[in-house]
Amino acid sequence: MTTFKNKRFSRRGFLAGTGMLAAGISLPSSLLKASGSSTLNFYNWDTYIGETTLSDFKSSSGIDVKMDLFSDNDELFGKLRAGNPGYDLIVPSSDFVERMIIADMLSPLDDNAIPNRVNVEPTFLDVGFDPGRRYSLPYMWGTMGIGYRKSKVDGTPDSWKWLLDSSKYRGKIALLSEAGDVLGAAFKYMGHPLNTTDPKIITQAEQLLIKQKPNIKVFAPDNGQDLLLSGEVDLAMEWNGDILQVMEEDPDISYVVPKEGSVVWEDALAIPKGAPNPQNAHKFINFLLGAEAGAAIAEFIQYATPNVAAKKLMPEEYKNNPAIFPSDTTLKSCESSIYKGEEAVRLYDEAWTRVLAA
Amino acid sequence: MLFGKFISAIKSSLRNPWLNISLLVTLLFLYTPIIVLIIFSFNDSRRNIVWKGFTLKYYKKMFSNEILLEAFLNSIAIALITTILSLVLGVLTAILLWRFQFPLKSLYQGIIMIPIIVPEICIGIAFLVFFNWIGWPSDLIWPLRLAKIIFAHSLFCFPFVAIVIRAKLVSLNRECEEAAKDLGANAWHVYRDVWFPHLKPSLIAGGFLAFTLSLDDFVITFFTSGPETITLPIKIYSMVRFSVTPEVNAASTVLIVVTILSVCTAIFFQKENLKKGSFE
Amino acid sequence: MPSDRFRAKNENSRKVFLVTFLPPTIWLILFLLAPILIIIVYSFSQKVGLINIEVNWVSDNYWRAADPIYLKIFAKSFYIAGITTFLCLVISFPVALAITKIRQDWKLIILVLLMLPFWINLLIRTYALIAVLRTRGFLNSGFEWIAAHLGLRFEPIQFLYNDTAIIIGLVYIHLPFMILPIYAGLEGFDETLKQAAEDLGSSSMQVYRHIVFPLIRPSIFAGCMLVFIPALGSYLTPELLGGTDGQLIANVIERQFKHANDWPFGAALSMVLIYVTCGVIAAWLLVAKRKES
Repeated sequence: MTTFKNKRFSRRGFLAGTGMLAAGISLPSSLLKASGSSTLNFYNWDTYIGETTLSDFKSSSGIDVKMDLFSDNDELFGKLRAGNPGYDLIVPSSDFVERMIIADMLSPLDDNAIPNRVNVEPTFLDVGFDPGRRYSLPYMWGTMGIGYRKSKVDGTPDSWKWLLDSSKYRGKIALLSEAGDVLGAAFKYMGHPLNTTDPKIITQAEQLLIKQKPNIKVFAPDNGQDLLLSGEVDLAMEWNGDILQVMEEDPDISYVVPKEGSVVWEDALAIPKGAPNPQNAHKFINFLLGAEAGAAIAEFIQYATPNVAAKKLMPEEYKNNPAIFPSDTTLKSCESSIYKGEEAVRLYDEAWTRVLAA
Repeated sequence: MLFGKFISAIKSSLRNPWLNISLLVTLLFLYTPIIVLIIFSFNDSRRNIVWKGFTLKYYKKMFSNEILLEAFLNSIAIALITTILSLVLGVLTAILLWRFQFPLKSLYQGIIMIPIIVPEICIGIAFLVFFNWIGWPSDLIWPLRLAKIIFAHSLFCFPFVAIVIRAKLVSLNRECEEAAKDLGANAWHVYRDVWFPHLKPSLIAGGFLAFTLSLDDFVITFFTSGPETITLPIKIYSMVRFSVTPEVNAASTVLIVVTILSVCTAIFFQKENLKKGSFE
Repeated sequence: MPSDRFRAKNENSRKVFLVTFLPPTIWLILFLLAPILIIIVYSFSQKVGLINIEVNWVSDNYWRAADPIYLKIFAKSFYIAGITTFLCLVISFPVALAITKIRQDWKLIILVLLMLPFWINLLIRTYALIAVLRTRGFLNSGFEWIAAHLGLRFEPIQFLYNDTAIIIGLVYIHLPFMILPIYAGLEGFDETLKQAAEDLGSSSMQVYRHIVFPLIRPSIFAGCMLVFIPALGSYLTPELLGGTDGQLIANVIERQFKHANDWPFGAALSMVLIYVTCGVIAAWLLVAKRKES
């Protein structure tokens, strides 16, 4: 009797074969061994780079950049804390840069190898999470705020009140799903600093959120802007970059940073300890901080660039877009999220567990 | 011709209307989101949430997206090898538990279940720490690079296979085996002609389960993957920050179409072979 | 049917025993034991600072896990997983039976058709499910269209962002894990047994109860295990489909390994999950045994 098992496996093989045929690929060169001193392992967010940046870098320096992807700062941290599996350059967010510095996971940068450092806007050169920028340099930055549907909302909802303390838009509100982000917004609303660690204030914020829960539709992990776009909610607490993307698709959507203040975030370039090609990493950082490369990246991603030289090359609508570059008054009320210590992290997590379970 | 056969297949099973209604309703339930997914692969919208217009540009983008294709290839390769490994381990385990008594057997049975019970992120982190601790090299060539992932996958896949096969072994008629032996069959013939046909459905079921689990695994794969070992779930989940574009839908549509075509073709050839040749 | 009591006496069965025992066991020791030991050790440790874990053999994490808030979440997770399993069973049994009655050559394609949705990535399948069920999704739009033609007003149904949505999502994902084992158990069922029973005067109902069911029961049990246990561990579905209280134990555990950065506590919660799950399975088996006698 014909062994059916073999047939099935040949079917699978047939499947894989046809799959490749259908995809019309020739075996990607990256599958064959590619190593040596002309490579760079770049661990980055997906599509968080210009369209031709990697090939431009290759033509100008001969270094082949292999970009691997991660989806979350926590995952990046979790994976690297047990040891660097071979990455040369990573792109953590500001509070994670801080964590990694404390945990001794980063190599200091050699400023001499990065002459384009002068292109970085001075305000970014000395920040709380990395004094003197010894371990990291800024890549992109932005704010957190409220995305809203103009036609469904009265005027401009420029206060956290509408999301955290009012039943006016009951059932049409989405908040973020990270403890730090939501509690931080609550702190700002109540007039406290973003990075409060006082247990009494944390409890107050917890109570506020529990009281507001019936009005909130969902705590959206990363897809608040989609809910806005599909009309599921009319107000969403979201990062400006995400709202920018859906604003492109739907002109009825707009973005505002609440007057009580919010978070200013930054994604930075850093070299983890144990990187196999640190010199190449330095060269790449220098390239990214150049005017043309920076402008190409900003053009494609449409986030705020900290690169003064690149910003000069950008069109007016980019520079004047309040959703990308907030006004100075707005910026004054925003704070960077810092690492608050493990005790505070635990307090936040427990408060959040209680909010969710209420 | 094929359609005529389809009709007669429906007719022969119309003897049991309720059963077939349940099958059809289930297929409808399963496929409604899939059909939406396929339709949205033609959506002219980067965010792919609301329908904006018809376009083929994401199919073009997908075919030239090297990372996506590499991820796809890796995922299929990992899933295939994992399925084979899981089937082997699963069959051995099932036979072991069914046929033999040995000390601490119940404990052993419990231990088999542990890979399924432990939350994936917990096992993922444990693997991360474990592989780091034993110093697993991270600069191997393809496909050895995938070994870590394959080992981790087969660990949580083979219990599924073992459970399914063990359940089927319970109904194995030992008398058939005895009869075969009386008629002069040796152990190998017994396995091939008595056990194997009986177990075939559970082997297929177990194989499908293992393949499915491995293909779509994200958490464990993330923590056991090193540089340059990207799989499809990792690629897709990493797209979430910016936009899960219709390219992914396009890739999935291609997968669906290719699979259905392959199976149909294989069935067609199998029937041709049966017609032509050996009388089984 | 009790398993054979083979005391490995003669040479042949000894060989078979070793062949079936060694590979899985070695695999388990290599790839399961070590990671599990790590988890157990962590659960009795405490985190020191950002990345260090001090193995000081304290049971603090377990005491923390016994807090009512976590117990409540455990209970809710078991409840939802239980309902999911029950629904999967109810749907899968007739479907599996239907497949066994289909013509031989079409069986494979039906099986492939059933499995195919599950080869599509979970995330985009969930997004597609959301697109179908959301307030302005396909289902609601369809109903609205029908209602408009009948001249009725239609208020969109909130399918999503509540516990029901989580259950729908979990059933959707875990259906093949119930269908396949039950199908495998039913396929190739010795019809002569049924016929013999019918010849001896049993009714169709009795045949199912006393002949088919006992032999199929292990497959049903297998299916239930393969749905219940993974359902307990799913965190993506509750996160994407659940409402503001859609927090299951897997979400809490996931947070400990990620944002809360407390691996020891996460390990302890996982161990508690293992113990309770094993307890539930053991209780089920006991009840089943009692019913048998």
